[in-house]
Amino acid sequence: AALGTLYLTATHVIFVETAPDTRKETWVCLFSMSSCHIMFVSLMKYEELYCFSFNPKLDREEREQGWMLVNLSEEYKRMGLPNDYWQLSDVNREYRVCDSYPTELYVPKSATAHIIVGSSKFRSRRRFPALSYYCKDNHASICRSSQPLSGFSARCLEDEQMLQAIRKANPGSDFLYVVDTRPKLNAMANRAAGKGYENEDNYSNIKFQFIGIENIHVMRNSLQKMLEVCELKSPSMSDFLWGLENSGWLRHIKAIMDAGIFIAKAVSEEGASVLVHCSDGWDRTAQVCSVASLLLEPHYRTLKGFMVLIEKDWISFGHKFTHRYGNLDGDPREISPVIDQFLECVWQLMEQFPCAFEFNERFLIHIQHHIYSCQFGNFLCNSQKERQELKIQERTYSLWAHLWKNRVDYLNPLFRADHSQTRGVLHLPTAPCNFMYKFWNGMYNRFEKGLQPRQSVTDYLVAVKEETQQLEEELEALEERLEKIQKVQLNRTKVRSKQSEPSKHSGFSTSDNTNTPQDYSGNVKSFPSRSPSQGDEDSALILTQDNLKSSDPDLSANSDQESGVEDLSCRSPSGGECVPSEDSGKDRDSDEAVFLTA
Amino acid sequence: MASAPTSKYNSHSLENESIKRGTFFILIDKEVIYICPFNGPIKGRVYITNYRLYLRSLETDSALILDVPLGVISRIEKMGGATSRGENSYGLDITCKDLRNLRFALKQEGHSRRDMFEILTRYAFPLAHSLPIFAFLNEEKFNVDGWTVYNPVEEYRRQGLPNHHWRITFINKCYKLCDTYPALLVVPYRASDEDLRRVATFRSRNRIPVLSWIHPENKTVIVRCSQPLVGMSGKRNKEDERYLDVIRETNRQVNKLTIYDARPNVNAVANKATGGGYESDDVYHNAELFFLDIHNIHVMRESLKKVKDIVYPNVEESHWLSSLESTHWLEHIKLVLTGAIQVADRVSSGKSSVVVHCSDGWDRTAQLTSLAMLMLDSFYRSIEGFEILVQKEWISFGHKFASRIGHGDKNHADADRSPIFLQFIDCVWQMSKQFPTAFEFNERFLITILDHLYSCRFGTFLYNCESAREKQKVTERTVSLWSLINSNKDKFKNPFYTKEINRVLYPVASMRHLELWVNYYIRWNPRIKQQQPNPVEQRYIELLALRDEYIKRLDELQLANSAKLSDPSASPSSPSQMMPHVQTHF
Repeated sequence: AALGTLYLTATHVIFVETAPDTRKETWVCLFSMSSCHIMFVSLMKYEELYCFSFNPKLDREEREQGWMLVNLSEEYKRMGLPNDYWQLSDVNREYRVCDSYPTELYVPKSATAHIIVGSSKFRSRRRFPALSYYCKDNHASICRSSQPLSGFSARCLEDEQMLQAIRKANPGSDFLYVVDTRPKLNAMANRAAGKGYENEDNYSNIKFQFIGIENIHVMRNSLQKMLEVCELKSPSMSDFLWGLENSGWLRHIKAIMDAGIFIAKAVSEEGASVLVHCSDGWDRTAQVCSVASLLLEPHYRTLKGFMVLIEKDWISFGHKFTHRYGNLDGDPREISPVIDQFLECVWQLMEQFPCAFEFNERFLIHIQHHIYSCQFGNFLCNSQKERQELKIQERTYSLWAHLWKNRVDYLNPLFRADHSQTRGVLHLPTAPCNFMYKFWNGMYNRFEKGLQPRQSVTDYLVAVKEETQQLEEELEALEERLEKIQKVQLNRTKVRSKQSEPSKHSGFSTSDNTNTPQDYSGNVKSFPSRSPSQGDEDSALILTQDNLKSSDPDLSANSDQESGVEDLSCRSPSGGECVPSEDSGKDRDSDEAVFLTA
Repeated sequence: MASAPTSKYNSHSLENESIKRGTFFILIDKEVIYICPFNGPIKGRVYITNYRLYLRSLETDSALILDVPLGVISRIEKMGGATSRGENSYGLDITCKDLRNLRFALKQEGHSRRDMFEILTRYAFPLAHSLPIFAFLNEEKFNVDGWTVYNPVEEYRRQGLPNHHWRITFINKCYKLCDTYPALLVVPYRASDEDLRRVATFRSRNRIPVLSWIHPENKTVIVRCSQPLVGMSGKRNKEDERYLDVIRETNRQVNKLTIYDARPNVNAVANKATGGGYESDDVYHNAELFFLDIHNIHVMRESLKKVKDIVYPNVEESHWLSSLESTHWLEHIKLVLTGAIQVADRVSSGKSSVVVHCSDGWDRTAQLTSLAMLMLDSFYRSIEGFEILVQKEWISFGHKFASRIGHGDKNHADADRSPIFLQFIDCVWQMSKQFPTAFEFNERFLITILDHLYSCRFGTFLYNCESAREKQKVTERTVSLWSLINSNKDKFKNPFYTKEINRVLYPVASMRHLELWVNYYIRWNPRIKQQQPNPVEQRYIELLALRDEYIKRLDELQLANSAKLSDPSASPSSPSQMMPHVQTHF
């Protein structure tokens, strides 16, 4: 028996023993969303969540550094902002205009505070159009907002001006796409409630487009149905395929992908800017913007970039994590696997572009896991404002730092920064092709144990990659060392030519016949050069001693040798990303050796 | 009409196929419109030789090339008549055995369609026109002879046969005992030739139980045969009962023999009406019988037809998964794999020896024995081993390739046709997906085998049985597919292959782990960009090469380094510290 604290999350019950030296954690998974609702009625306050007591034994400084890892100001800078068209707006300082938005927002330069505030009054929850992604190359941008409060006929001059400002911020295009990610029927129904969508007649030069992604309730039910299929003990062919199809899950995934593809194409091929919204602009809009950004921007396909992407499009723009993942006792109808769907879209993309992503499947699964686990503070609260009020950054740890620390586990061995797939835009067919979207075994079947461990091709890749890297490091060390030896030699040669007398070494055997380098190399070739046995080592040693003594004053032979070495070092290792050496012991060795030589 | 290929490009690509000049001749060389189901009509130049139909796009924005061996064609129809109006409504419609259709629009004047139709019909269906199948005209030369790959005596010797309990018999040397079996058979030592003859009278088509594979350690065996001729009256045959008991007794520690009847129970019962049936418990006391519920060739044919309906030309979109389900194709794959797993498990655990049969023992039985052997014996997972497996369990034991594929036969609706072998290859692919390091060959190897299953370029898959092949002197007069493959093995190698002796593979035949072989069934769809070479394989190969290069350069540097150390100016005090360092890298 052990004394401890029980933590409840949406998917896990975590039991942490209080014994100070062990703090053993026991995680029990409740991989069924319905069953947990009953479980965590008692959790009413944020303070009871696990992350507030989770302590990875890091000091304050390390914690703060962890939170600094992902920096959105840096990210906007990386996009090339601010510039002639876009500026950082302080209109939302202290969350004055919109409490679910971040304070740091980019808007068109021509959009005055008056226009922004006016536009915000015409948008659901005052989520006015703001920049999500900016494409340096052609000035096209992706902006996001909530639905306009247009009802059946209402208009708002400032909002119209706002859209014009966005369009004009892209000199390369004379129109702006407005993408409503809802099914048309839903959008029309919203008009009855005084909300709705943009009327093309009122906004000049916009192209309006519906992309039917269903709402959070449909998605929640869909996941529920799919999980039921996953829980079947031994499904028949019909049970499984029919169940999967009836759940509609893959169809929804595809709808999100299609929206992302549409936007990516508009930006990259038509050079047009896009404004995306759904109802409130924090679920479907987040999904679609991040998928499109991922397709467009190679940076987001790296480990760090992906963290930035989630930080930007999800966390800072107020995806309601607390509500969607039921971290606290809330309305069960608010729960929905919105970011799960985004992560799955990424996985589907990884399946189709195996070389394009720096991270692997495990990375996605661990992010998903921690969105539910509440072990880290990143995915707490519904908005930036709430997080600031709760002082999340001072009281919890950042998942990104944790993932970054263990990044070796998350690297995709197939990733190559120089690969054509990795550069530029990922091109996917817009035409429907359902068969490309697969059931994500790794996520939804991860608790099913097969008869024996599956073989993974990736493990092989990782192994060879590591081996190659190690060899590359050895090679570099050796080349470096040779270079140094060479320098030393040149110096000595100079010295020697002054002295005009080769130095003599005593204490070594005097019998020698390997006077010329040619003889010597011929001699060495007969050795099994890669034998690890002690005997060879010894003989190599003896040989060296022989040669050390067998001084060769022939300078021309020496220079031949040098040029040969130079040739070798010219062929610098190509195409390898060199992760900082874990095996620095060897490097140190070689340095020492060089020192000794010198 | 015969003329040398006109365009340089064309002749080049034909040469690429390394078919020697003189063995083919151009029969038709004309402009047609290929009605591409994906990109619409494309004007192209078509060449028809006695081996293939080759079309090259004449439009600048399309690099389309069609290259269709005539053997692949199952049906040629004329579409549109003299009165038909509308663009491209007059021409030919060609149905292929490899899940695609081709449609050509031709000009109405000048009998151009009649010419093309007649030529195609003649050379796609040579049997109906008393012409030889192309394989007999093919004079390709390879530097290895694929016909030598399989030598039954050697293969049985590899398995450790003959031994105390099993003997090799030549009783079927002239195919008198059973005309669809190979000449060389392995039977129980204690069964006399007379016994064999008596048993043969009680087995459908005389296909007596003979050994397919023996476990190297526990000596349990996989035996294959056809159904017993029990009939409605429940006939018995003492020799057959005794014979199965002798098989059981070859392995003394077990007291039961397991019989797997591949068919569904009802089918087996229904077969009694036509004189067939199954081994009943009351008669065969020491045997237990299980049905594996695998459906017959007609069900499989219809299932594949449905697969084609949902993938060609357009992939069914709105209800992809339920459409896929309605084909039942994966369900059949699952049943075949599950059956094979059961066979393999019985044998590898040493629980009992196994007898496998279906009705005639040349379709489902071949699938089950060969898949079980693939799971049990790592030898068959190498390229040559797999060739031997196919050669042995399928070709020599009389899977009716001629009837199932319909080589050179114009009767496209023949009820004997069925994709049994394709289903087997699909199962192999499913296994290779689950065990990516267990097979020496890659996906391309499997697809190449399937392509030449239809192409008629090689003699490998011609005819129904060994006796017919011998009569036609196939090994003397045709080239083996294995010649092509073995002379260029690197193309077909799986870089992840790691040889593991004695490892039994148990694939998971659960729905969640089986998938449609998109790279085969949907390969004509331009959306399936087969990433050739596979990026994962490619990356691995590159890394291996890089590793080898580093090792080589390290060696070179090592030499240079040692040479440097030989310089007198180098400090003499430290060699002992330096050299071990260099050596410990390895």
